[in-house]
Amino acid sequence: MIKTMLLLFLTIAIASVCWEAHGGTTQNAEAGACLDCHGQKGDSMRFQDGSKKEVFVNADEWAQSVHGNILTCTDCHRDISGVPHTPKKMQDARDFTLQQSNTCQRCHYAYFTRVLDSIHYEMLKSGLREAPTCVDCHGSHGIRSLKTPRLEVNNRCGSCHTDVFDTYKKSVHGKLAMAGNNDVPVCTDCHGAHAILNPNQTQFHLNSYQICAKCHADQEKMKRYGLNPNVLTTYLEDFHGASTKAYAAELRDPKKPIATCTDCHGIHDIVSFKGGIARANILKACQRCHAQVPATFTDAWLSHYQASIDKYPAVWIVKWAYRILIPLIILGLILHILLHLWRLGTRR
Amino acid sequence: MTAKTKIRQRADGTFEVERFTPFRRVEHLVVILTFVVLVLTGFPQKFFDYSWSAWLLKMFGGLDNARFIHRVSGLIFSFHLLAHIASIAIGTLSHKLSLSLLPTTRDFKDVFGTLRYYLEKNSTPPAYPKFDYRQKFEYIGIVLGGLVMVLTGLILLYPGIIAAILPGQFIAAAKVAHTSEAMLAFLVLAIWHVYGSHFSPEVFPMDTSIFTGYISKEELKHRHALEFARLFPDETK
Repeated sequence: MIKTMLLLFLTIAIASVCWEAHGGTTQNAEAGACLDCHGQKGDSMRFQDGSKKEVFVNADEWAQSVHGNILTCTDCHRDISGVPHTPKKMQDARDFTLQQSNTCQRCHYAYFTRVLDSIHYEMLKSGLREAPTCVDCHGSHGIRSLKTPRLEVNNRCGSCHTDVFDTYKKSVHGKLAMAGNNDVPVCTDCHGAHAILNPNQTQFHLNSYQICAKCHADQEKMKRYGLNPNVLTTYLEDFHGASTKAYAAELRDPKKPIATCTDCHGIHDIVSFKGGIARANILKACQRCHAQVPATFTDAWLSHYQASIDKYPAVWIVKWAYRILIPLIILGLILHILLHLWRLGTRR
Repeated sequence: MTAKTKIRQRADGTFEVERFTPFRRVEHLVVILTFVVLVLTGFPQKFFDYSWSAWLLKMFGGLDNARFIHRVSGLIFSFHLLAHIASIAIGTLSHKLSLSLLPTTRDFKDVFGTLRYYLEKNSTPPAYPKFDYRQKFEYIGIVLGGLVMVLTGLILLYPGIIAAILPGQFIAAAKVAHTSEAMLAFLVLAIWHVYGSHFSPEVFPMDTSIFTGYISKEELKHRHALEFARLFPDETK
């Protein structure tokens, strides 16, 4: 009995400490005042173009959101001080959203500046008002924890990028992702979340192999799926890989585009290459740049294999011939030089 | 041994013997130039992962430019190699040239003779011909290595055409051969040639005969006794 009492007392004590730490009653009291009006449906804002937007805020959703216990209404709606609110002139609801988006940077400055480098912000700046800003992806009053379910991320991107999303869903990555696999990439794993780059730019294409390498150079992960863990090293050892890396370092566009992962494997439509599909399609992939080459040309690319005596013996023989020859010759020459010097030294 | 060797007197009264005709001296300059440019534009492609490679490529105006320069100097190197082999073929057929750089059985004996001298089994080194085996090794090396570089370079330059004649994996093999042979050539040059022509106490700081074309009679007697005996039979004991 005493134990139970003590436990109860402790629980209350800890809970009250947390309550105080998170701002306690004061913030909710202020939110409560706003919710006196905004907690009820029915009222709406009217914009210059005649459209309306409901000003209802779901009190429960807000309380459960990440900001629920930390922020209060006027932390974001800073220009509101009295009741009734000073009327503002805005074209439409989108206008209001775009203006309101600036408020996030007051706390989330690092993410906000990253967004300034993104293709989304670039489009917004160019006048495309549909381009997403913070709240379009994160929501507003119902923002949930950072640990968003990964599939939720896909749905958010997919709500605008419908075609790409449909293609992705049929790909080897998409199928597994939809089945709840956490190893395969969702949109943001390749494109990033805030500083999303323009994927049509040459520099994105040149650096894209590093995106694939994040997983496909991961020995553990590749072993789990029976995939070749040497795809990155074998690509870089090849002419295309070495060139891509050099071009990427130059930060300027090459005269001719050069093949990276996606040029043979596809982008959002990537399928499994197990079972010979790759070799069946490779000639077409080669011919996109090397016009009218014969089918034998494709053997110049070792399909991410390391040369061995069974596979590509000519490459293997040349490689090992030099691996043996070079050290032997050089050591012989150095020995010869040292003996010469030694003899000249002893002649005295 | 039909070629006539020029011997001339210097201002100080000593004699010097012609070792390289003006054509050979120019050839050497061409090789220096193309070799250096080929190494500077080729090695950053081989060692693309190193920061000095990025720096070097930048100096040449980027990978595309470096590759263009590499191909142009590669073609100059190739045509020169062809011209060199042709000149030897024509010279030999018209009896105007002796194959003084072709290895003979004597050279193999000289290797052992030299090693015995180095190991103090013999008190004197062998009497060397006009070019000793060390020089012949380097010459044969650059001609054969040059042929490998030219052939593999052409395969890499025209992979589509080559694939119609050879199996595709030969293109990949040519790439391995091209970069490995380049490494071998560079190391032999940096170690063997730089020692033999610069740092060896016998020639330090530099053996100038490839640039002036002439070697002093004294030096010839000391370093190429056999050739000396051939040119000055009366003065040989």
